[in-house]
Amino acid sequence: MDRKEKLNSLKYSIINSIIPILIAFGIGAIAIILAKENPLSAYGTLFYRSLFNIKGIFNTLHFAGPLILTGLAIAISFKAGLFNMGIEGQLLSAGFVVAVMGNVWGELPKTVLVPLLLVVGVLVGVIVAIIPTMLKAFYNVNEMVVTLLLNYAIIHILQYLTENTFRDPSSGYVSTPRISSNAIPSRIFEDYRLTTFFIVAIVVYVIFYFIMKRSKLGFEITALGQNRNFAEATGMRIQKKIIIIMLASGALAGLAGAGWMMSEKYAYTLSFSGIPGLGWDGMLIALLGSHSPIGILIAAVFYAVVKTGSSNIAIFTSVPYEIVILLQALIVLFLSLKVFVKPKELKLGEPSVPKKRFKNLFKGGKE
Amino acid sequence: MEVIKTVDLTKKFGSFTANKNINISVLEGEIKAIVGENGAGKSTLMNMLYGLLKPTSGEIYLRGRLIHFNSPDDAILNGIGMVHQHFKLVPSLTVYENVLLGVEINKEVSIGNKKFKTFKVDQKQELKLVNDLIEKYKFNINANAYVKDLSIGAKQKVEILKMLYRNVNILIFDEPTAVLTPQEIEMFYETLRELKACGTSIIFITHKLGEVMDIADSVTVIKSGEVIDNLLVKDTNNKHLAQLMVGRDVLMHVEKKYKDYSNASVIYEVNNIKTKNKWGLNCVDDVSFNIRQGEIVGIAGVEGNGQSELVDIISGILKVTDGCIKFNGNDITNFWPDKLRKNKIAFIPEDRYEQGLCKEMTISENMIAGYHDSPDISKYGFISMKKRLQKSIDLINKYDVRVSKIEGLISSLSGGNAQKVIIAREFSSDPDLIIASQPTRGVDIGAIEFIHKSILDLQEKGKSVLLISSELSEIMSLSDRILVMYKGKIIGEVMGKNATREEVGYLMMGITHSEENTNG
Ligand SMILES: Nc1ncnc2c1ncn2[C@@H]1O[C@H](COP(=O)(O)OP(=O)(O)OP(=O)(O)O)[C@@H](O)[C@H]1O
Ligand SMILES: [Mg+2]
Repeated sequence: MDRKEKLNSLKYSIINSIIPILIAFGIGAIAIILAKENPLSAYGTLFYRSLFNIKGIFNTLHFAGPLILTGLAIAISFKAGLFNMGIEGQLLSAGFVVAVMGNVWGELPKTVLVPLLLVVGVLVGVIVAIIPTMLKAFYNVNEMVVTLLLNYAIIHILQYLTENTFRDPSSGYVSTPRISSNAIPSRIFEDYRLTTFFIVAIVVYVIFYFIMKRSKLGFEITALGQNRNFAEATGMRIQKKIIIIMLASGALAGLAGAGWMMSEKYAYTLSFSGIPGLGWDGMLIALLGSHSPIGILIAAVFYAVVKTGSSNIAIFTSVPYEIVILLQALIVLFLSLKVFVKPKELKLGEPSVPKKRFKNLFKGGKE
Repeated sequence: MEVIKTVDLTKKFGSFTANKNINISVLEGEIKAIVGENGAGKSTLMNMLYGLLKPTSGEIYLRGRLIHFNSPDDAILNGIGMVHQHFKLVPSLTVYENVLLGVEINKEVSIGNKKFKTFKVDQKQELKLVNDLIEKYKFNINANAYVKDLSIGAKQKVEILKMLYRNVNILIFDEPTAVLTPQEIEMFYETLRELKACGTSIIFITHKLGEVMDIADSVTVIKSGEVIDNLLVKDTNNKHLAQLMVGRDVLMHVEKKYKDYSNASVIYEVNNIKTKNKWGLNCVDDVSFNIRQGEIVGIAGVEGNGQSELVDIISGILKVTDGCIKFNGNDITNFWPDKLRKNKIAFIPEDRYEQGLCKEMTISENMIAGYHDSPDISKYGFISMKKRLQKSIDLINKYDVRVSKIEGLISSLSGGNAQKVIIAREFSSDPDLIIASQPTRGVDIGAIEFIHKSILDLQEKGKSVLLISSELSEIMSLSDRILVMYKGKIIGEVMGKNATREEVGYLMMGITHSEENTNG
């Protein structure tokens, strides 16, 4: 694509992301009016407190860290034409194990414990992703269904473990014991919540960016996502790629879970990942950023603004925190409409093929 | 009377002009052929007539009336229909259901003297209407058959029926014969004559100049987006047209030197391989053959006799259930495609947009696919963007791929130029053996000449070629040895030097020598 065309398609993807956001905020405004508040001042609070002062910005970035990772986790699986809907479960599992080990290994010095726990988180994410991955790679079992359902199993297992085996008896509510202070990554600036975990997230993001854009692996994954037959015929081992991508996606989710635990939550509670969970947020972010790397970064930050902003709304106005859930739902709804797509010039002879996914459904007929 | 007339019709894609001031006219009831090199702008022109593309400037007149189409639906409403090269049919529905897809007739119930439409489709009525059409145009297909069971030629007829049902009287075909067998082409001619007799005007694009001579009344030659000449077929001939198209004399037949390879070493050996298709039938049934160094072996056969599956096995996509394949003495049975490529076997697949190319990726990405870990473009698992682009540009120049922009997507290339990307990629990989399946499908005569020459050049260098083609003349003019496939088996072998069309033709129909003798 030349420059002009790139700009053009960029323009369309931006329009495509912004319009649903505007509509969502518009409808959200009605809800705010019903709560007997002025929507303008409520949204003002939302954006001002999380975007227009230093403290707010660092706060926002602090929340953006795990969101960047979960968004990336979804996006890379989409890129390969796979659907890892299990980010949430992978993230929760990693968070839980890190909470436990962060307490057990509390004596270790910070410089050892923090990286160790991040690695543990990654491993847990990978391990949880193994089941759907193997089912997909070797038996072609639909990964979307398996990952999605596995989330619910995981939530309940972790709930059981938190309520029983690993419950902190001294705590007034259901929670694991707090992680040791050695397990908490240090703040970048003394006065703000942003920790070194954010740097880790950014570094991982950049590494993935380069792998996807420049490496042989990234090339093969893109090809696989676009045209499976082509990838297979040109000698890209798709089974291997499926395994790599699904596990990498799980690893990112695990890292996000570990980071969220260590930099923000410090103990596993039943609302560890919030409502809606960080994994689900990741899905929205990947959609908003139309699966492009830069788009994801921007979408993650935007979403962190809304998330931190909505707690501010709840504190400073009488609009409940749940406004963020409403906004998210509306954004997803309108994003999926995609009314404002660029009118594509069709070519005959080679008519627009139905998107690959559907084509596979009809396998058997080539025409 | 002129049914279609264009005045200075121009189409630009960005800064690239695909059609420039095109003036053509089509007369009532005539068959008009459009010829031109790959990328000349033929499909673009037809797409504008059919409402798929909007002209940048210029006018289209339909029976003297200025028209602007916003979509193919508009075109169809105005009586212009088009049959694509890649059909758009639903395989799991019957012929008549496909014809009426989107315009189903609902059963009516009458209450008193009022009629109401129900949700139920009136299948009887539909079937009758489609059968009437089939009869009118003498199409000889069963309206109740499932599309998935039809031959390619019959599927094309369904596409035509779809258009006829919608009352079009101008029909456009984009390379209608590219995928048809010789017998089906004959039947297609019949269809065109029937249509013409019923007053339909026909425009068709083709790369086979013989077809222009056989069936068309007039011909328009397009070169680099401009009309070079409008001619009556009776005033021209193959050679003249080729000259107009390419701008130089074209060799219609390459010169081939025949040698005796019976003493050359065997480099590729296929021993008793078998495989099953999805219905559990042996679609490749006990096939054995070998290829010697420097030899071109052709596989002929009517499409659908197991050639595609055989190629899939050879290219590592389909597994054999029995038998083995050896290359240079090593067992390579069921090797993955990447390993086969490492062994210096190159592939030109039959279906260019399915296995050969990825339409959604750029030209340069496609140019390296399959060879993307070769050390000249990638290091430590990373691909150098600069080297990739450079390689792509070199190949575009060397293989004369006509692109509108260097870093464009494959989908912005014309069909024949897309094919050239595959040719460039595979030939430039310096293979010891190349498996070429329908290598010249959809490419223009200049490019056919070039591809045939390239194949012979490879042979000169002592490389071997397995050529699979439904184009009998291609097989005959290139192969040292011709194998004929029939119902999954190789039923005969003929030396290329003294092969006759009749001999190969009989084998393709499953008639071997012995039977011929006993019958005759
Ligand atoms: N959507 C597009 N964007 C950019 N360029 C395009 C697009 N469609 C076609 N082109 C360019 O316009 C030119 C004409 O293409 P067209 O498909 O009309 O060729 P054609 O004559 O049908 O060739 P072929 O015989 O190979 O099918 C080509 O150079 C092609 O690259
Ligand atoms: Mg074309």
